[in-house]
Amino acid sequence: MSFLAPLFFAALAALSIPVLIHLIQREKKQVVRFPSLMFVQRVPYKSVRRRRIHNWLLLFVRLTALALIVLAFARPFLRRDDLNVAVGSGAREVVVLLDSSYSMGYGDRWERARAAAYDAIDGLGPDDRGSVVLFSSGAEIAMRSAAAGERQRLRAAIADARPTAGATRFAPALKVAGSIVAESTLPRRDVIIISDFQRGGWRGEEGARLPERTTLTPVAQTGDADLPNVSVTAVSLARSTFSGQERVAVTAVVNNRSTRSLTGGQLALEIGGRSIQTERLAVDANASTSVTFAPVTLAGSFMRGTVRAGTDALGTDNVFHFVVSPVQPLRVIVLDRGGTAGGALYLTRALSIGDAPRFETAVRQPDALSDEDLRRASVVVINDVAVPAALGRRLQRFVEAGGGLFVATGSRATWAQDVDLLPATLQAPVDRTRGDAARVGALEFGHPVFEPFRTPRSGDFAAARIYGYRTVTPAADVDVLARFDGGAPALVERRVGTGRVLLWASSLDLAWGDFPLKPVYLPFVHQAARYLAAYSEPAPWLTVGQVLDASVVAASQPPSSVVLTPSGRRVGLDEEGAEVFELTEQGFYELRSRTGDSVTAVVASNVDTAESDLTAMDPKEIVAAATGGPDGGRQAGGSGLPPTREAQERSQRLWWYLLCVGILLLGADTLISNRLSKA
Amino acid sequence: MSLLASHNPSAIPGARFMDPVVLARIGNLSLVSRAVVDGFINGLHKAPYFGASVDFAEHRGYVPGDDIRRVDWRLWARTDRYYVKEYEAESNMNFSVLMDVSKSMDYGSIGITKLDYARILTACLTNLAHHQRDRVGFVAFDQDVVEHVPPSAKHMETVLHVLDRLKPGRPGSLRGPLHKLAEHFGRRGVLVVISDFYEDPETVVDAVTPLRFRGNDIIVFHVLDPAELEFGFSNASAFEDLESGDQLPVVPEAMRKEYVSLVRAHVDALQQRFSEVRVDYTLLDTSKPLDHALFKYLSSREKKLRLR
Repeated sequence: MSFLAPLFFAALAALSIPVLIHLIQREKKQVVRFPSLMFVQRVPYKSVRRRRIHNWLLLFVRLTALALIVLAFARPFLRRDDLNVAVGSGAREVVVLLDSSYSMGYGDRWERARAAAYDAIDGLGPDDRGSVVLFSSGAEIAMRSAAAGERQRLRAAIADARPTAGATRFAPALKVAGSIVAESTLPRRDVIIISDFQRGGWRGEEGARLPERTTLTPVAQTGDADLPNVSVTAVSLARSTFSGQERVAVTAVVNNRSTRSLTGGQLALEIGGRSIQTERLAVDANASTSVTFAPVTLAGSFMRGTVRAGTDALGTDNVFHFVVSPVQPLRVIVLDRGGTAGGALYLTRALSIGDAPRFETAVRQPDALSDEDLRRASVVVINDVAVPAALGRRLQRFVEAGGGLFVATGSRATWAQDVDLLPATLQAPVDRTRGDAARVGALEFGHPVFEPFRTPRSGDFAAARIYGYRTVTPAADVDVLARFDGGAPALVERRVGTGRVLLWASSLDLAWGDFPLKPVYLPFVHQAARYLAAYSEPAPWLTVGQVLDASVVAASQPPSSVVLTPSGRRVGLDEEGAEVFELTEQGFYELRSRTGDSVTAVVASNVDTAESDLTAMDPKEIVAAATGGPDGGRQAGGSGLPPTREAQERSQRLWWYLLCVGILLLGADTLISNRLSKA
Repeated sequence: MSLLASHNPSAIPGARFMDPVVLARIGNLSLVSRAVVDGFINGLHKAPYFGASVDFAEHRGYVPGDDIRRVDWRLWARTDRYYVKEYEAESNMNFSVLMDVSKSMDYGSIGITKLDYARILTACLTNLAHHQRDRVGFVAFDQDVVEHVPPSAKHMETVLHVLDRLKPGRPGSLRGPLHKLAEHFGRRGVLVVISDFYEDPETVVDAVTPLRFRGNDIIVFHVLDPAELEFGFSNASAFEDLESGDQLPVVPEAMRKEYVSLVRAHVDALQQRFSEVRVDYTLLDTSKPLDHALFKYLSSREKKLRLR
């Protein structure tokens, strides 16, 4: 039995009031001053003490009534859980959720957690059933609903478990546990969650609710947070070119999350498995520092780099892998009329600048464009030339295969009518040499081409004066990305197949304006080329839990079909049934060709450094969210759902009876005292 | 001021009397006594009369039958008319009130104490006596004489002033002060003794009787509160003697009957003993108006005048 308002018990002090009144009345009688006791003294003396026994009876009744009323105000209620225990205990469905995130490798947490899991398994009764679920960023059922007789298998499942490279996520584990107990037919359902309860593993409720009549018991493995813990949280790669060779300087960020400062540590950079450079490492408590290594020459593709920060209580996050390759140039073919760079001077000069990516420009006359050129090129720029139908069809195939086409339309530009590739049809030129020159006005800043110019003072297209442009009529399903001040389309985009076509309604040289002389020209050309080539810089590393997306696999030449995991396991991408592959280990994943003899891509996989933050949360928070009550679902019948108003009222109705009995006793007290006074 | 019609069967028809409790609230004894006495005298329909005295009052025209010796011849010589001289009547009688101011008198259960009642009664009697041209005096006593105003025709105001100042003091005793006073009152007169007589009847009579030896007329007023007569208490309490301070646990319901019978026996004994020594005894209840006491006094005085 518990009480809703135990403070009311202070009112039990009121029990002393009748006693005090009784005592005071006995000690201090009412005094009547009377002129003379001459006659009173002559009356034989009669004691009043003979009524004392009746007063004690009254006192008892009054005290009982008061005590009952106070008890009623304290709102006693019976906990359903008490009743359940009293009624009897049925067989249990026990689910042991064992946290196998890499933070459990901190100190001796993993050993303690396994011991706690063994205890839970050993505590199974003869009719109970047990499950073991290992969870980190996901949840894996190691043993499902095994009978107590299979205790050794349950223990073996725990013994085989190891901390993974994953980060802690409680919600998937609770959902798996919920599905296990939901299918159980046993009357009692217990979920035991053994974890270090990192704050980062819980982001609110996340919809992880256990079924009714399920208790959730947290077993926290904390209390050793003062051990040293350093983690390498990120690296940045600064590329540079030195005497024709590309180099990269690695800067590592090291975070010390413990309360002890680290002095005399070592931070080593390994390339290709060999230690290249070692730096001294000193980090204050709860602080971070960055260490920059000397530049390293990029010898070939998929160069594997690793930064190690010694060893400590949690060694997993001391290692950071990355993969760096020489930048692949973006091949751009410029179709120009003259064969010299006369008309395409500004364009080729603009494309010759830049490191990320580097542009490799080739100028061709329209009739000199070979198929090999088209095969190698990512982007073709048609710089104010007439395009015959044959070339148009070749370009159409190029674009449909994923290539990018940029069409600049000066006075000479024509396009074969029967080739449906351009986003707009070309009309007559507009001469703006008289009066005000045209300006590029409305821009679609949401488009990737203009996205870098979105913020104020990051490029003014209106500064360019356009003296002539072609009137174009956009097709039905195209996007007009920019317009001249008169409203005529300036830049029109069309997607054809997997490729893209951009039509610029004016020239890219000085013939029709001073656009090439303006600061926005170079970034515009670079951005358009990157966009048309669908260029994206390859990520130097991924995080455990992410998936290898199709682009990485597809971009590799020849196509990959086998993945070699850091632990040496070979997984065929076809076997997985999809082109996605989830990273579960820390280290380097190799993508190999079908024959398995050549490496087509390497992906570095690092642990989630948020897991390095060992700050613990209150397990009650999870318990409350998962069961609907702070005591693990013991209240309100152990159900995860809050009890109904009627059920609450039923369990608290006791006060009503107590109050009634108290009031009845007070009535009896009145009757008794009346009787006594009459007697 | 509310006037209450008397409910006493002995009241004089036409007279209006005031509730003692109301009178006690007035505070000004002179005013109180005048109000009471005027009302009382109006009821009697008796006017003060002129008599032989040394104090000249007024002249009036001679009418046949008047004593020729009372004609003012000097006035006849001046005016050639016969006038008769009138003088203030004088009775040559002393009137003194002997009032018990012991602590037991300072008791009242109905809004007026016995002492206040006695105070008003004294004031009224004194006023009445003064109207009758008597010399008025006053004595207050407890176990000794506390205040003493010798009888005089001019002491009316003094008596009222002394009455006003009176405070109940010590425990009382009749014998000592009354015996002392018996020697003092040499001249014949009317003595009124007001007390609650909380002593044995024998002791009381022994104390009062010597006052008679010099030929004084004695009127005894026994003043008691209704609570003393009826003992109307209900709760068991400790009763404290006002004079001695002794306490006694009392269950009033259990002893009321015996107490009332004891008081009645006491009153009867006093009545009996006083009548034996020819002293007028009157029991006064403080809840009753004052007419009874005044009437008692007047009838006693008339009797005395007749005897004269």
